[in-house]
Amino acid sequence: MKTILQLIRKDYKLFWSDRRAVTMTFIIPIALIIIWGAVFGNLNKGGTATKLHIAFLNNSTSPIGKKIERVLDSSKTFVLIKTYKDENDKRIPFDTASIQNFVRKGSVSAALVIPADALSDTAFGLKLKFYYDPKNDLEMQMIEGMLQKTIMSEIPDIFMQGMKNKAVKFLGLDSGKAFNNEIAKTVGKYFKIDPKWITNPPVDSLLSMAGGSDSAKNSFFQNILQLDKVQLVGQDIANPWATRSVGGWAMMFLLFTLTATSSALFEEKKSGVVLRLLASPISRVQILWSKYLYNMSLGFIQLLILFSAGALLYQIDIFSNFINLVLIIIAAATACTAFGMLLSSISRTAGQANGYGMFLILAMSSIGGAWFPTSFMPDFIQTISKFTIVYWSMDGILQVLWRGAGIFDILPHIGILIGIAVLITSISIWQFKKGHVF
Amino acid sequence: MIKINSITKRYPTITALDNISLNVNKQEFFGLLGPNGAGKTTLMNLLVGYLNPDQGDIHIAGEKVTQDGLHTRKNIGLVPQSLALYDDLSAQDNLDIFGSFYHIEKNLLKERIKEKLESVQLYERRKDKVKTFSGGMKRRLNLVASMLHDPPILLCDEPTVGIDPQSRNAIFDYLLMLNEQGKTIVYTTHYMEEAERLCKRIAIIDFGKIIAEGTIDELIEKLPYDETILITKNQVTKGKIDLLKSFGSVVDEDDHFQLKPNAGFQLSQFFSSLEKNTISYKFVELHKPTLESYFLHLTGRRLRD
Ligand SMILES: Nc1ncnc2c1ncn2[C@@H]1O[C@H](COP(=O)(O)OP(=O)(O)OP(=O)(O)O)[C@@H](O)[C@H]1O
Ligand SMILES: [Mg+2]
Repeated sequence: MKTILQLIRKDYKLFWSDRRAVTMTFIIPIALIIIWGAVFGNLNKGGTATKLHIAFLNNSTSPIGKKIERVLDSSKTFVLIKTYKDENDKRIPFDTASIQNFVRKGSVSAALVIPADALSDTAFGLKLKFYYDPKNDLEMQMIEGMLQKTIMSEIPDIFMQGMKNKAVKFLGLDSGKAFNNEIAKTVGKYFKIDPKWITNPPVDSLLSMAGGSDSAKNSFFQNILQLDKVQLVGQDIANPWATRSVGGWAMMFLLFTLTATSSALFEEKKSGVVLRLLASPISRVQILWSKYLYNMSLGFIQLLILFSAGALLYQIDIFSNFINLVLIIIAAATACTAFGMLLSSISRTAGQANGYGMFLILAMSSIGGAWFPTSFMPDFIQTISKFTIVYWSMDGILQVLWRGAGIFDILPHIGILIGIAVLITSISIWQFKKGHVF
Repeated sequence: MIKINSITKRYPTITALDNISLNVNKQEFFGLLGPNGAGKTTLMNLLVGYLNPDQGDIHIAGEKVTQDGLHTRKNIGLVPQSLALYDDLSAQDNLDIFGSFYHIEKNLLKERIKEKLESVQLYERRKDKVKTFSGGMKRRLNLVASMLHDPPILLCDEPTVGIDPQSRNAIFDYLLMLNEQGKTIVYTTHYMEEAERLCKRIAIIDFGKIIAEGTIDELIEKLPYDETILITKNQVTKGKIDLLKSFGSVVDEDDHFQLKPNAGFQLSQFFSSLEKNTISYKFVELHKPTLESYFLHLTGRRLRD
């Protein structure tokens, strides 16, 4: 035992003397977590931090057109560009041709035009023109979705207006009015809105609402389409996005670290240090044990530091369920260590170990859900992902941090991780016995 | 002290050691001389129990060497052929680590480290990382790193490859001193000068077999001639090769012919014959036979190409 401790002490000494190893293990992961936090941070706050830029032209004289313009102008989501610069650097307001050109040149991804006949008698609703450049589907979908959401939720009377116009057109002026009143009553009855409000919407109060006032709750739209969203899990989590992702990142970094340290065995072999060690009163078994324990403890420390960084930078709450977090981290570190040892047992050189490692880590991380949730993946991939260390570690960490799971909830995860560790350790011991490495 | 009994060691593609038996006595400076790939390192690795033999056994100080038997290793210090050091650590840290596995009392280990560093003139550089050392310095450190537990037996596997004459001499003197103090030393090399200078007794190993064993004088005495004769290669001598061959076997070397005389060879006869054939004495040089000539005699090859 004393020999094993001496060997572990040696490995830590080597680790600290290798500035690159320390950087790769701690500094770079933390730096990446900061960078990714900055890149993806918006998802967390519903996209309010950055505004979407779109070109905008209003050719309509109708009050609705004006209203849309005002609503979008004051929205937190959009920035409207209404002019462009000509060759002489002069700002010129868009017209129908120049705004299309603006999109074509790639100056902006999309343009919204309210045509002169935006609200004609013949149309059911509002007619808007949307020009876009499909170079970025995701951005397009976002802009479109946000536009619809903004216009619909802020200016619901557009639809009523359209409906009324249709009724008048089909039924003639008088019966049309009568129908409208009937409709208003019926709608009002079912949706608990004052019918007067429907036949004659209080445009001014709507406009004040458009600025995003808190009375938005009463908006007509929301009364019609009442989607009660109730968050069941994680409502107290300060930073849901980071809390959900931190496990995946940490696992990936852990695997990289353990691949690197396991290839250290090859360095020691190549230089002849392994021969020197085995010529001293040290057995192969002791060296293997020391490597296991060293890698496991290093992996544990790394995870702990990464989670602490998460706690500091993103307010991830690691302390309220700390014991269970430690347990799942130990299980994860054990499984990953076994993985690293397997790599060194099946490889002949450090380069080989790193090559296999890189492939397996990237495959396991993507399939296991470290990069995006497994629920997005095809069924058969979801099945495969259950065979990865990353999946069970991440899910266990998620249970602990997100659902505040107790020991019994994560026992299956710990059991499976330890099971995986035992399985691949027996493979590597069988390989080590063959004597390729020592 | 070391008894090697009918050892055979096979690698997948080659038999590295073929039924080898050797004895090394206590306090002996024993040389193992052989060309590249002869099996010297393999034998050393068997002696420390790093490898298991396919046949035969080895006893050191009466104890059988096995892969799991850690006790015999306390009696042995192995100086590996490669520089088995941690480049990123200081000389002192290296010794501290390698010494720690022998469970030596802390202060004693500290004292030994200082003493060993001083004895190979590395004490001033003890805090520097090994990677900043010269080849010779690394070799010297590699040597003392195997001796912190003060073993009675030292196995040196080519401890002087690729270093300057000064470091080499320092290592020679140090080893001779240790031998005088009573240590048993086994020394492998493919430099016959090293074996001649250091070793009392040697074994010559080639293709995994011991082809000769004895003191240097014993081996040279077995040669059927007392000296070798070198004849400078030039227009004149090249034409007289048949004449040379009538006196013994001739080996064609880079810039000269080497003549190994036949039995019954007489120098006076040889010189008068040269005179008759107008070959100047200037082109002729007499040599005392060496281990090199002995190896050549046994194998028809030189130790190093
Ligand atoms: N691990 C190994 N696997 C396969 N063959 C090996 C292995 N180690 C050594 N050999 C072979 O065994 C033979 C003896 O090698 P060994 O290293 O013992 O020679 P050596 O006398 O030490 O040579 P050198 O003077 O070059 O160090 C060589 O032919 C070598 O190629
Ligand atoms: Mg060798």
